[in-house]
Amino acid sequence: MFALTDAFGCFASMEKVFDPSIRKRPVVVLSNNDGCIVAICPIAKRLGIPKFQPYFKVKWLLQKHSVVVRSSNYELYGQLSDQMMSVISRFSDNTYQYSIDESFSEFKNYEGIISDWGDYGREIRRTVWRETRLPVGVGLGSTLTLAKVASHAAKKLPDSNGVAVIEDEHYREHVLRQMALDDIWGIGSKLAQKLSLQGLKTAWDLSCQSPKKIRREFSVLVERTVNELNGMQCLSWDDVKSPKKEIFSTRSLGQRITSCDDLRKALSNHAVAVCNKAREQGSLIKTLYMFASSSPHDERYFKKGITYEFPLATDDVFKVSAAVSESLGVLYAPGVPYYRCGVGALKLESCAFKQPDLFIPNGDPALMECYSKINSRFGKGAIQVGSEGKREAWAMRREFLSPRYTTKWSDVPIISCK
Amino acid sequence: MKVIPLYIGAGITGFESPATEYKELNLSLDQLMIANPSATFIGKCQGNSMIKKGIFSGDYLIVDRARPVKDGDVIVANLNGEFVCKIFDKVNARLLSAADGYDPVAITEYDEFQIEGVVPFSVRLLDESFSPLCLP
Repeated sequence: MFALTDAFGCFASMEKVFDPSIRKRPVVVLSNNDGCIVAICPIAKRLGIPKFQPYFKVKWLLQKHSVVVRSSNYELYGQLSDQMMSVISRFSDNTYQYSIDESFSEFKNYEGIISDWGDYGREIRRTVWRETRLPVGVGLGSTLTLAKVASHAAKKLPDSNGVAVIEDEHYREHVLRQMALDDIWGIGSKLAQKLSLQGLKTAWDLSCQSPKKIRREFSVLVERTVNELNGMQCLSWDDVKSPKKEIFSTRSLGQRITSCDDLRKALSNHAVAVCNKAREQGSLIKTLYMFASSSPHDERYFKKGITYEFPLATDDVFKVSAAVSESLGVLYAPGVPYYRCGVGALKLESCAFKQPDLFIPNGDPALMECYSKINSRFGKGAIQVGSEGKREAWAMRREFLSPRYTTKWSDVPIISCK
Repeated sequence: MKVIPLYIGAGITGFESPATEYKELNLSLDQLMIANPSATFIGKCQGNSMIKKGIFSGDYLIVDRARPVKDGDVIVANLNGEFVCKIFDKVNARLLSAADGYDPVAITEYDEFQIEGVVPFSVRLLDESFSPLCLP
């Protein structure tokens, strides 16, 4: 048996944990630079507030329902996500955090111990709520894909109360029949379109296809999905947790920048973020892509991008930020009001198969390890590369930011004794 | 006859500390005050209704959501959209203060009420001039 536990309206629900005054009110959370709505709490959902809409477009609707609007408070979400994951991990000896608000659990040889999976799911849900004040749904199924399906049912089907178990054939059919193709894990919107051209409408239709035929017409990946929907386990742990093949850090700037120095700092920030993510998953960067542009709505749109090939794949922040400085001459043009910039690692290699080169010095792994350790102990940015500069105006626009309740002493929640 | 000078090195100088084998982890305040890390948060008290329990305005409160709540426990609750710290009177469904001049608060069906957690510890700063460097 597998379980997928995920938070309802994750970021929006996290905003409510330390602010009881908004627990009963509709809450939405905006993306970086307060651009779009990225999370809506269950109450806001019932009011019909749409997700992924630009904030300025739905502002009137939010005001009409007096919806609480918050900027993304990553310091808070990171902390609460850790707490939630640690509670979930108590319920199984094998869990894997799939994203900031989703976690898979595997239950191997639990059959004799647990008689009612529905009860167990409800126990997980109850405990997470009691200990972290986050509402979660739990989906249980015999494969990873069915666990995902069940978690979808736990959210969408009205009679589930946040927990769904796909155990018997009857219920499996019932759930799959109500599920759209592109809601299936691993089926994107383009693939869903292709499948619907063949007359398929629901997840149930897909599960009734012959796996061999699907393999011929689509791919082995879709064949696996079909098998998994039928309860045949094809995906294993390692398929889900395979490291990312590309890492990007990009964002529109809080304020336009025009000086070369500011652009260097902004790009350096992204480069270091990419480098840190690569190191976390044990990858080395071979090819780096950097770009900077004005806004496409400007009178004259300017965009420049450059790829930088490292002679030897690296996860050394100094080498990566040096690459930024070297490329700046191409990316920077005086007079351009830069609106967006970013850095991406296009080609990654595994740290385990590192091929040293006799003539290229290896950087300083000990220094990098020390750098990582200091930042993980004293908080991100405790030490940084000089070219990143101090946090400045071009950083993020977060107008509706809640306090950092769990990471700053001056921001801890107030408890009244009056 | 040629003499080849050889230097004799003395590898060990002094005693090895006899305490090395007895080294243990340092005491930590987390270990003392936080039994359930994933279910605990820290808040700051405002007001003086709990002074007879030794909780004064400005004190930090450790709030444990995992600990079962018993009658008479010092708790933090969400009362009508506000965190409050009171003594839980389970039998009469009331919240009690621990100072003169504060009446018990009855919890009715019209109130929004959730127990947030139990307060096993509070922390008080005695010397106002004390400011640890690490306080961000």
